[in-house]
Amino acid sequence: MMLKKLLRTLLKYKAQFISMAIMIALGIGVFLGFNMEWYTLQVNSNRFLDETGFADYRLYDTERGFSAEELERIRALDGVDDATRFMSISMGVEGTDDIVILSVSENMNVSGFKLMEGEPYDPESTDGMWLSDSYAASNGINTGDSLTLTYKNYTITGTVRGLIKAGEHMICLVDESMMMPDYSSGGFAYVSPALLERVVDEEIARVLDENPLYRLAGGLISSERESSINRLFMQINVISGLSKAEFVEKADAALGRTCMVASKAETVSWAETQGEINEGKTMGSVLPVLFLAIAVLTMVTTMHRITANEKTQIGTLKALGFRDKRILVHYSSFALFIGLVGTVLGVGLGYLLGWYIMNPSAAMGTYIDMPYWRLHAPWFTWAVIAAIILLLVFIGFMSVRRMLKGTAADALRPYTPKKMRHLALEETRLFKKLSFGTKWNLRDCFRHKSRSFMTLFGIFGCVVLLLGGLGMRDTMDAFIDSFYGTAINYSVRINLNTETAYSEEDSDTARESYNQAALELCEKYGGDWCAQSSVQIVDKACGLEIYSITRDKVRFLDGDMAPVALADDGAYICTRIARSFDVGAGDSLSFSPYGSDDKYTVKIAGVISSLSESVIMSESYARNQGIPITVTSVFTDETQIESGNALIQSYQTKQAIMDSFDQFMELMNVMVVLLVLAAIVLGIVVLYNLGVMSYVERYREMATLKVVGFKDAKIGRLLISQNLWLTALGIIIGIPLGAAVLDYLIKALAAEYELSMVISLTTYLFTVLLTVGVSLVVGLMVAKKNKRIDMVSALKTEE
Amino acid sequence: MYAVEFKDVSRVYRNGDHEQRALDHVDLQLPAGKFIVILGPSGAGKSTLLNLVGGLDSPTEGTILVDGQDISRLTNNELADYRASTVGFVFQSYNLIPTLTVIENVALVKEIAKEPLSSHDMLKAVGLIDHSHAFPSELSGGEQQRVSIARALAKNPKILLCDEPTGALDSETGVMVLKLLLSMARDMGKTIIVVTHNQNIAKMGDVVVRVKNGKIVYCEEQANPLSAEEVDW
Repeated sequence: MMLKKLLRTLLKYKAQFISMAIMIALGIGVFLGFNMEWYTLQVNSNRFLDETGFADYRLYDTERGFSAEELERIRALDGVDDATRFMSISMGVEGTDDIVILSVSENMNVSGFKLMEGEPYDPESTDGMWLSDSYAASNGINTGDSLTLTYKNYTITGTVRGLIKAGEHMICLVDESMMMPDYSSGGFAYVSPALLERVVDEEIARVLDENPLYRLAGGLISSERESSINRLFMQINVISGLSKAEFVEKADAALGRTCMVASKAETVSWAETQGEINEGKTMGSVLPVLFLAIAVLTMVTTMHRITANEKTQIGTLKALGFRDKRILVHYSSFALFIGLVGTVLGVGLGYLLGWYIMNPSAAMGTYIDMPYWRLHAPWFTWAVIAAIILLLVFIGFMSVRRMLKGTAADALRPYTPKKMRHLALEETRLFKKLSFGTKWNLRDCFRHKSRSFMTLFGIFGCVVLLLGGLGMRDTMDAFIDSFYGTAINYSVRINLNTETAYSEEDSDTARESYNQAALELCEKYGGDWCAQSSVQIVDKACGLEIYSITRDKVRFLDGDMAPVALADDGAYICTRIARSFDVGAGDSLSFSPYGSDDKYTVKIAGVISSLSESVIMSESYARNQGIPITVTSVFTDETQIESGNALIQSYQTKQAIMDSFDQFMELMNVMVVLLVLAAIVLGIVVLYNLGVMSYVERYREMATLKVVGFKDAKIGRLLISQNLWLTALGIIIGIPLGAAVLDYLIKALAAEYELSMVISLTTYLFTVLLTVGVSLVVGLMVAKKNKRIDMVSALKTEE
Repeated sequence: MYAVEFKDVSRVYRNGDHEQRALDHVDLQLPAGKFIVILGPSGAGKSTLLNLVGGLDSPTEGTILVDGQDISRLTNNELADYRASTVGFVFQSYNLIPTLTVIENVALVKEIAKEPLSSHDMLKAVGLIDHSHAFPSELSGGEQQRVSIARALAKNPKILLCDEPTGALDSETGVMVLKLLLSMARDMGKTIIVVTHNQNIAKMGDVVVRVKNGKIVYCEEQANPLSAEEVDW
């Protein structure tokens, strides 16, 4: 019988129950979805990285590479589990402008790959190539097709034996200025060491054919072959549980020289994925709190109203002899029922949201190239969901307990709302001049404070979500405009082949003559140049960028995205370095180039916004400080880049870099759409629920107005105007708080872009108009009910 | 011309297969400027009759003329205009707006009435000018009913419709309210229609209408109606 009553009561308050269930579903859905996003990424990427032997450390020697004997020394180190000589070189794809990073791992247990399709890896294959399946798919390449890659003098032609994914290339950026992978123009491939040796042998044979006299130096040829191969293995990749400091110390001792070491945290694949995971954690802890808070507060308000309406029934049950416990259980089960329905819907929504963000065809799939996408939810989400259900039941329990207080006779009396009290502002002249409707609404807001507060909170949530989502987009748009519109003032970036800059015999002379050639190239293309290298600040790997800007091809931006000219009396640091080492303009900063014991201390001239975590300075300041310069890039407006120049390793057009950004913006747009949708749903559900509640509570008053002679439209306007006031107030409070939330999200989510918050006028207008629109639509929906007011029966009821 | 004229009026309520004939082919003429009492037991149809005159409800069949105007086929908005200009309502349960003060409750009719009377004067007339700024919840039942009469009168209606106006009041307050209503008829020339099941109140009526089972049993003028004080409560 009580079950029947429960179901009928649910039917009676269906609008409230549906809206509460939707709010709970939204809260749980957003909470689960966002947490599932980062956790799924964490579980799946870890599994993939483990399976493909993602290295913990990478030793670099870009000059002479590593020998097999050196690898053995590293492998023998205490604390090193496994190691491999590794090659990773950006190569041109013959017949296209594409770049493919060619990788070779001697020991596929370290830095290997996962076969997705085709033949398994064969270390003895001298013509097999295992190609990125994403690159293959974007370029219509199938297994069995032939591919020719070129690098300096080497030409590698292979047959695609298999299509793969690799942990080392999980986020495959063929150029450091790219923000998102673009598989239509770049990818990666693996070949066996056997093929590499074949290519080196072919090159030696070609040189010997051109210079037959070299054949006389047989032993020399053999050692040249070995050092050629060693030079290609510029990395030793290591799996080890040692700390970086321990590993660096042991590796330096074993090799007898200082090599640059990058931990996995310094690789794009690991760092960016961790970045996404951390961003997800932030998103999972900020937005859901808003939704869950609104869901719980809605529950408190609505359950109170429902039990107040049901007070006589509660009293009747009590008078009939039902024990308080039974009545408590009965009414608490409403909350349980709503909680369970909301949870089931919410879990479904969470999985849908998780899937929407985390599927191989979605934006995340275009960024992170991994084979596993099964959704996983962290354990605590289930604990939180269980706690929410308990909290909802508790809210229901407390609401009924209030109505059960006292004797059965007390319980039988209908719930009487609080008596009206005079407000302080009633004494003001302004209040006295207000129209009847304004006074009516104003007093109603104060009389039903919790309902008004909840409406405000709903509007506030709506504004925060809209401003957060759209403001994030504005900020990124402004950043792209400044960065690509102002900072990048060139059409093409030419990356130079710096190999000849390094010589074991006379490094200074080699570098000078190399630089001379590079400057001539720069002159030829009418460009500016940059010398980029890696440095160590304390124990952090950062970039050093030395610029010669005479033709305005590259510009620098300060924290507010305003252009800054590089002064010659100091170095500039990016915002992240400034924050990490707590330094700023006027302070000094020391760094050492990798592979060198030299230490340079520079004066900081300013802090600028930079995509890479770098120290930036002008050529003249670098020369003053005695910092060695090796030109690495030339920036030009020339779009016709000669082929066959040994000095030119590769080039990227500005357009290609911007195209990769479009994909990044797609990911951003998905989030913006989700946030806008969430804002609309939240606004509608909260306002409708409260609107219906207000309508029910003021039913009698409206019936009176109708009897007196007020038309439906006029009563509707009175109701809507209250909604609109609260909306206006919610917007006024919501905008600064929304901006604060956005600022926090930008700092937490996109630290690497060193963004400064931008909210456009359009965003403000859209936020205000959409929020007012939602409020107006809901107001009209509720006001439409006026027509159904039954004056006769409404006014017959006893107060 | 009569203040109210019913011509073969029926009001039938249908609930599924069940049909309830609240008024059954009623013909009735009520004169203007009189204190009219409609008497009958619960469920007789007296409130339905009042609601039809008040434009809260429309007849299923027949014609209702109020002050010569046919109100039986008006639209919702036309009925609202009619309620705003022609009739005033007084309910047993007062139906004041709890969030408006006494004077604001009376003044709210200014929003809709064509020729409203001064709220101040109306409150003075019902003897509540000293309570103008109190909220309804701060008043006694009788005081609240007087506010509701003041509100009804402030619209300057031709007809005042009162549904059990003393039903929730003690005898002393009830007499005070009836006296007030009677003076509205005598001094201001309003047509006052009071619906009640209290036979004693009927003795005050210039005209008494008895309703039973949806039909008019009789409609008689009383030669010597009693004053409110003379009524044996």
